[in-house]
Amino acid sequence: MSKDEEFMPKILAFLCNWCSYAGADLAGTSRLKYPPSILPIRVMCSSRVDPLFIIKAYLGGADGVLVAGCHPGDCHYEKGNYYTRRRFVMLKEVVKGLGLEPERIRLSWISASEGNKYVEVTTEFTEKIKKLGKNSAKNKIFL
Amino acid sequence: MSKPKDNLKSNGAVISAKTGTKESIINFLKKAMDKGVFDAVLVPMRVPAGDSFVYVLIKDKSLLKDVFPLPPVMSVQGAKAVSSVTRLGKGNMKIAAVMRPCETRATVELTKLGQTDLENITLISMDCPGVLPISDFLDDPNKGMKLFDDAAKKWDDKLMRPVCQICDKSSMVAGDIHIGTLGAKKDTFFIISNSQKGNDVLEKLAITLKENIDGWRAKVKNISEEKQKKRKKAHKDLKSEIGGLDNLLDTFSQCINCHNCMKVCPICYCRLCYFDSDKVKHPSEDYLQRAESKGSIRFLPDTLLFQTGRMMHMSYSCVSCGACEDACPVSIPVAQIFSMIADETQGLFDYVSGRDVEEPLPLIAYKEEELHEMEDAND
Ligand code: SF4
Ligand code: SF4
Ligand code: FES
Repeated sequence: MSKDEEFMPKILAFLCNWCSYAGADLAGTSRLKYPPSILPIRVMCSSRVDPLFIIKAYLGGADGVLVAGCHPGDCHYEKGNYYTRRRFVMLKEVVKGLGLEPERIRLSWISASEGNKYVEVTTEFTEKIKKLGKNSAKNKIFL
Repeated sequence: MSKPKDNLKSNGAVISAKTGTKESIINFLKKAMDKGVFDAVLVPMRVPAGDSFVYVLIKDKSLLKDVFPLPPVMSVQGAKAVSSVTRLGKGNMKIAAVMRPCETRATVELTKLGQTDLENITLISMDCPGVLPISDFLDDPNKGMKLFDDAAKKWDDKLMRPVCQICDKSSMVAGDIHIGTLGAKKDTFFIISNSQKGNDVLEKLAITLKENIDGWRAKVKNISEEKQKKRKKAHKDLKSEIGGLDNLLDTFSQCINCHNCMKVCPICYCRLCYFDSDKVKHPSEDYLQRAESKGSIRFLPDTLLFQTGRMMHMSYSCVSCGACEDACPVSIPVAQIFSMIADETQGLFDYVSGRDVEEPLPLIAYKEEELHEMEDAND
């Protein structure tokens, strides 16, 4: 293995308390294997994630940012994730419009019983980020 | 605004303007005050020094003779004036607010954001030829007045601000009454109503909306299509110029963090912007940590975060009015960049800022079945 292939990205994951965090927890207690790239941050609802958090993480050098919440219709606060979805698509459009990297940002729905989906999503995303390589924002001094 | 929405499709009035458009508009306002249709008028006026224009709330109608319904510069975004007057309630006066289309549109956005009360306000807009950059005007205000007059007569935008040169909504009717000068016969202009309130006002002034306004409509369509093409091209060029992290950093590296762009923006109404709050003041360990991971960190930090954050918080309401760019002391093309991003974010939801006060802001609305392509997308 060359040095480059060993790159293990840092991915910030905003997980909603009621579904996705519980899903991640289930993956853990079921002893499923998932990549060590994920730094989870628990939020009460996916809609608590101001797009600003995501862009801040990205400009701060995070290699990837994942936002995960309950499936549509299942949000603990009924409609939080519908708003999340709109904000997310807007955020991606801004990022794309500025010629930055929308590929480093991902939205997924992971329920409390989907430990395996948590593993799938984090593995798949980590693989993709590995291919993209390091976030170049990491080394920008004048940011 | 509120019904009937279809009025624009129907007719308007043709008003004789033998003494000039400006004078006729002033006469119209004066007559409306005489008849008690309006108790006050909110309208731009030239300051005594002659080098700027401000909004004034006129109660004494004898002062109307000095107003400038279409000033050569936008020193104050009209929506801010309306919001200052009505933010704490509608008051008991009927007020006519006379402004440009991007100002009425911003007023509509601010209304959705709960920052105005339009019940007693009649929004009057007019066809806009653009405005001069404030800095150009300040170089020589008297020359600026003349250049603007000439340019406005010929509808020639080359001296206007870049964001005006690509404005495809310079005749968009978002308020109650619109004054159309395009396509009008010599010494006349059109009066168009866009709401029941507009209809009522005009009825009280015995102005009947019986004449055909196809001439105006055709000309407006023509101009906005032409500008739309220019706009698309300008945005495309801008994107290749500023797109990507390195170019963006170059573009904003002169930024002096004054936050003027945000302070003059009509949409940025927050009493305390996140970026002025303690939330962006971190303990020194935080900065040291960032310096350690990068080798060094710029002070003041987070310039780009401020810009992108503002885009995320307000671009869906941005009306491309250009106030931010006029206010930037280091000539960053802020409004051109924001208008580019705004077209994209608004386009996602088929939203046009300021088009209709009934249209919900895109981020406080949703459909259950939409945007599925965003979910689990790994592209
Ligand atoms: S007005 Fe210009 S210099 Fe001031 S914060 Fe905005 S972009 Fe930066
Ligand atoms: S961002 Fe600039 S162009 Fe857009 S509404 Fe605010 S001041 Fe006007
Ligand atoms: S609580 Fe899970 S998305 Fe709202």
